[in-house]
Amino acid sequence: MKLVLGLLIGIAFGAILQLGGGSSYRKIMGSLLLKDMDIIKLILMAIAVGTVGIYALDLADMANLSIKPTYVVGIIIAGLIFGVGFAVAGYCPGTCVVAAGEGKTDAIATILGGLTGAMLFALVYPMLGGLMGITNYGEVTLASAFGINGIWIAVPFSAILFLLMFKVLKDRY
Amino acid sequence: MHDEPVLSWKVAGLLLGVLLIVATALVKPLGVSTQYVVTDAIVLHGAAPGVAESNEYLSKYGEKQDWGIGYGWMLVLGMFVGGSLSAFVTRRFRSRNNPSMSSMWQTEFGSSSPRRMMHAFTGGILLLFGARLAGGCTSGHMISGISQLTIGSFIFGISIFASGIITARILYKRRLAS
Repeated sequence: MKLVLGLLIGIAFGAILQLGGGSSYRKIMGSLLLKDMDIIKLILMAIAVGTVGIYALDLADMANLSIKPTYVVGIIIAGLIFGVGFAVAGYCPGTCVVAAGEGKTDAIATILGGLTGAMLFALVYPMLGGLMGITNYGEVTLASAFGINGIWIAVPFSAILFLLMFKVLKDRY
Repeated sequence: MHDEPVLSWKVAGLLLGVLLIVATALVKPLGVSTQYVVTDAIVLHGAAPGVAESNEYLSKYGEKQDWGIGYGWMLVLGMFVGGSLSAFVTRRFRSRNNPSMSSMWQTEFGSSSPRRMMHAFTGGILLLFGARLAGGCTSGHMISGISQLTIGSFIFGISIFASGIITARILYKRRLAS
């Protein structure tokens, strides 16, 4: 049952990304070149909707949250490496799977590179694991840091994102 | 243009947000990059079980009796299927002139397929190395993580766009100059 549910959620996820241009090399690179803001705005919209919904669920005690630990130094290094890969591939780990489904063969190369990169990480983990230990503040969120319920942050945060999407970010051609 | 998205960012973003809420209510927030490790673990466990079980990192993703396929892996398989289905229905399946590259790439770097494939492969290595070090990717860390107001996810999101924007500007410097 869980497997079928996973497949169905994945199909919806893949279709939404494909229909929204999330699996398009041109749209992703347009965002990174700050010319075409659609993908950035798509992500901001998903977060603006998601954050309020998730913390509304949490009020009703119905959210299965999964908070990742905040290890500042390791995450900054990881993000900088990821960002280079993002621009060089023109895909991310999820959108390359969708793009491969659309018959884009370069996306298959990104998946294979991804499997290789994950394996490389597994091999060096005993050496790099320490990076995930230093400056580690644990599973901290803005809500837990301020000691208030998440919905009080989610609503104004979402409002800021709407302002960004509709008033600040503009396409530049 | 033929590869113009079917949905606007507003509609697609709204649907993605709703899907994230549904997934969080039913199972857990969306995530992808762990499944690359799971796939590696399954393959290596089939080929050399001793090596897989002795690797500290891979063994975290495959318990002794369970090196199999779970919810998260099916989700990623679903993404492939979903991308295919919607591309077929909207007549965008294999719509590129050259299936290995976007016309944007071709204009800047020429029509050599091996060159594009090398970039796509190398980019993939960096993506997953970074994602596993961070503990998630664009979906799990950035979209799901920031939606949960995770502080590390804000840091990850800023870091990937900082280096992604710089790298893109270096790659496309001729296009930007013109």
